[in-house]
Amino acid sequence: MKPDLKLILSVSSPLLLLIVWQAVTAFKLFPPEVLVSPTAVVAAFGEVIATGELQRHLSESLTRLAGGFTTGASLGLLFGLALALSKTVEQVFGPTFQALRQIPVLAFIPMLILLLGIDEVFKIVIIAKAAFFPVALAAYDSVKGVPKSYFEVSSLYRAPWWVLISKILIPATIPNILAGVRLSLTRSWLVLVAAELIVADSGLGQMMEMGRQMFRLDIVMVGVIVAGVIGFGLDRLFQLLQAHALRWKTA
Amino acid sequence: MDYVPHSQIPGHKVKQTGAVSLKGIKKQFNFKDRELKVLSEFSLDVQPGEFVSIVGPSGCGKSTLLRLIAGLDDTYDGTITLDGQRVAGTSLERGLVFQDHRLFPWMTLEDNIALALTNRQISKDAKAKLVADHIALVGLKGFEKAFPHQLSGGMAQRAAIARSLVNEPKVLLLDEPFGALDALTRVHLQGELQRIWLAQGSTMIMITHDVEEALYLGDRVVVMQANPGRITHTVDVNLPHPRDRASPVLHRLKDEILAELTNVPEAPNSVVRLIKGDDQ
Repeated sequence: MKPDLKLILSVSSPLLLLIVWQAVTAFKLFPPEVLVSPTAVVAAFGEVIATGELQRHLSESLTRLAGGFTTGASLGLLFGLALALSKTVEQVFGPTFQALRQIPVLAFIPMLILLLGIDEVFKIVIIAKAAFFPVALAAYDSVKGVPKSYFEVSSLYRAPWWVLISKILIPATIPNILAGVRLSLTRSWLVLVAAELIVADSGLGQMMEMGRQMFRLDIVMVGVIVAGVIGFGLDRLFQLLQAHALRWKTA
Repeated sequence: MDYVPHSQIPGHKVKQTGAVSLKGIKKQFNFKDRELKVLSEFSLDVQPGEFVSIVGPSGCGKSTLLRLIAGLDDTYDGTITLDGQRVAGTSLERGLVFQDHRLFPWMTLEDNIALALTNRQISKDAKAKLVADHIALVGLKGFEKAFPHQLSGGMAQRAAIARSLVNEPKVLLLDEPFGALDALTRVHLQGELQRIWLAQGSTMIMITHDVEEALYLGDRVVVMQANPGRITHTVDVNLPHPRDRASPVLHRLKDEILAELTNVPEAPNSVVRLIKGDDQ
């Protein structure tokens, strides 16, 4: 397919959505207090940027995301590796791990608020929890899935352990681990915005919550769009990183 | 037919090392509460530089045997020695080529071969030279930077042979090395393996399903039977290398071995009855 045509096709659905939205508001199918028009949202966009409100909330959110995601993903990686490599760790923590990961992150929010309050620590912990499980599971599964034949080849040539790890185990597991990290990045962002909606004094979610309380649905829509665009951008960025790490596949 | 030592075969490089000796090898696998005897009292002496082919039906323990010699499995009774030294674990002196090439997909051909040298205490330049020499030996010059998925099955298998030879092992074990290749590529690679063996002079023990291949390459063909895995027959092939595939001697020996492999004495009664029924 030609790149031009590809671009047209990929922007066609958001464009269509925008047209429908504009049409619905132009015909006043819903009262403007309930559904604001795209033009009002654009105006609100200009407003929150001019006052610096959006930048402030967004940088708060992204800082939280960075802290929580990095903590959760790295702990998840280490835990997943330990779970896969040690029989003892697997026996002791395996069942707990498998059970805990079935519980939605949001279900922990009430308990965590009581334990940690609504300060920064709470938000970091909730994002870290969201980031932890996909990475841990991916690390565990991918190490468990390394074919026995790889170990046999390594053993035949008496490769030192650091060669086994750096040249065989890491490249063999990195595609799945990266897929897990990508999933956990998306989840972290979703959970962060949701948590900020419930409890926070700043952040993108809180900007939306304050907008809602003041019946400024245009500002709420700004938040919705920014959340979507940031999530999409983070995912695409990670996709590029993944493609770079796996370039041997397409070489 | 008298046995002509391989050292007297014209064109063959004589080696003093690489004598493999297997004595009274017993190996069994345990399935739940059942014991399965894979090898029973298996003994074989392979001369330095000799090419021994092993043929036999599936499940006769051929592959297990090679894994024991390679040192990938240490749980057996009996002794395996290489030049009088008992083997323990894997060693760079014993190379192994699998049926699948087992190259790592994320490494280029030269990186795959260089991986075999990671335990050698030699200079970077020396390693690079060994890699380049062995890529040339298997005829893959120009493909150093290729990834395995860019190579054909035959080329990948050649790369696997280069990797197994780069440490100049005293003995090279080949586990159905051409079993997954098409007939034409197989014939071509058999010729290549013969050329490599003549040039390298290391001992080779090859397992195959293909009797013709066994005879074309082997100084000696060992015929095995299953349940439990044991040697039932040994055939000396007293023909100089490189050989002529059309040789009447090879054809006669092939018929002899095939007759033995297909005429299993303990065939189930039902099969015999079926054949009888067809005759009537």
